[in-house]
Amino acid sequence: MASDLEMARLAPETKEVVVHEDLCILVCHTGGAHYAIENRCTHQDTALHEGRLRNGFISCPLHGVRFELKTGEPKGELTRIPVRTFPVEVNDDRIIIRIS
Amino acid sequence: MSETMKPGKARAPGHTYQEAIVKDASPPPEAFLDYSYEFLGDQDIPYSHYTSREYADREMEKMWPHVWQMACREEHIAEPGDYQVYDIGHLSAIVTRTDSMQIKAYVNACMHRGTALKSPGDNGYCQTFRCPFHGWIYSLDGELLEVPENWDFPHVTAETHSLREILVDTWAGFVFVNFDREAESLQDFLGVLPEHFKGFDIADRHIETHVCKRLPVNWKAAEEAFMEAYHVKETHAGGREFSEPVTTYDVYPKNVNRFIHTVGSVNPRMPVPPTEQELMDAMWGKRGANEGGCPEVPEGATARDVYADIVKKKLSEQYGLDFSHYSTAQTLDSIEYFLFPNFFIFPGLSLPMAYRFRPDPNDPDYSYFDLYFLRPHDPASRPPPPPEPMMLDVKDSYTAAEGLGFLGAVYDQDTDNMAAQTRGFKACAKGGQTLGNYQEVRIRHLHQRVADYVGE
Repeated sequence: MASDLEMARLAPETKEVVVHEDLCILVCHTGGAHYAIENRCTHQDTALHEGRLRNGFISCPLHGVRFELKTGEPKGELTRIPVRTFPVEVNDDRIIIRIS
Repeated sequence: MSETMKPGKARAPGHTYQEAIVKDASPPPEAFLDYSYEFLGDQDIPYSHYTSREYADREMEKMWPHVWQMACREEHIAEPGDYQVYDIGHLSAIVTRTDSMQIKAYVNACMHRGTALKSPGDNGYCQTFRCPFHGWIYSLDGELLEVPENWDFPHVTAETHSLREILVDTWAGFVFVNFDREAESLQDFLGVLPEHFKGFDIADRHIETHVCKRLPVNWKAAEEAFMEAYHVKETHAGGREFSEPVTTYDVYPKNVNRFIHTVGSVNPRMPVPPTEQELMDAMWGKRGANEGGCPEVPEGATARDVYADIVKKKLSEQYGLDFSHYSTAQTLDSIEYFLFPNFFIFPGLSLPMAYRFRPDPNDPDYSYFDLYFLRPHDPASRPPPPPEPMMLDVKDSYTAAEGLGFLGAVYDQDTDNMAAQTRGFKACAKGGQTLGNYQEVRIRHLHQRVADYVGE
């Protein structure tokens, strides 16, 4: 079912986990943009929120798989499965994550 | 035979590079005035050194594991846990920053059953190095921390099964590795480079652009395309006369050579020398229409000095830094130093590139070319993180890469000859390539250094 998730804007170069029904979503503010991805590495299901943001990527803290925040596409050889991404809109001091 | 006819003594008509730059208003660095050419022979270079699988295997066995190679910039591994993988042939190194901010490098293979811990060319962050196969865990210092089900491994300890360290050292913000634990120091390997680079601030630059292209030619021939300015007239200027820059070629022991060529000086081969204003117009034309009208060169001044001052002012505004200490030659000229076996760096202000070449481990007819543009930043500020490299395949154009500007088309011209060169290596009945004694001495230097390791 389509729905929106609203939250306050994040400080630059930070990230926050939000839970929506059975979805755990990681919202990131990096490089001047907000992104929302599922907080789950597609390699071995590890939560991504302890990973490091850099250059529009997040590194999984377990084995280091990097995912591009914009597309969800992985780098490297450990997985070929993209992480799920969600559209994000920024309005004034709020950000809206479109979940469908 | 007269003195001037001895091999290697001949020079292009007119003045030398060194004679040209002493006329600049600002004195060039002493190193720029140095002549260090040496005649290294005039025998053909066998084409088999490019095409032979056996020769490539010897390079991989006898040379690459024993030479210092640029693995990354320090900003690639700015914080503890950052890592960068450097691959050369079948060898692979993880370069990382430890919790105590030390830079370390390890063989990229688990000490259990050898699985590579990180993917080829990858970079990223981790708290520990954890093998994705069975989960053996190593600290950032390389120490074996955990073996799952260790009851089965009484013969395994941190002393015997920690990650194998690789030599690592830094120069000018670059991180170098050497897979040979007994190798000479990086400082010794660098030779004259630190002395020649004293007037530059390479450590305070950062990677603004990084493009990695697969090239259809052996790694040595790929490097050679950038080692001489002899090709400029035909490859870049459509054969137009008098387009050769005035260039010095110098060779230093053991691992360094260079060329430096002027930008915006009178080419002595022109039948009618251009005026300083005509030289200024020619340089200004490359800046594009949005730069306004071409400035006038005052009486008694040279186009080079006027243009260098404009470049310094513009870059000062762009980067918020003072470049007034850079001489005209440091600002404008194409200054290319080579560190054997695979690293080039341009310390100049307006052409701030670095190159790295690596063989394709599976095919001697292919190689990889990392092209970096380095830009200055305030030494008191932290450099921005390096960009993700843009990967180009053989048939992709450099003009598709962001950040190269008009040089994208120039790099296409440089690399578009390479497939034809590989075909010619195999078709040519002569058996080897013939080199100019002076303008192509750097190529011969490269081959002689390779031969020092692998034999003829």
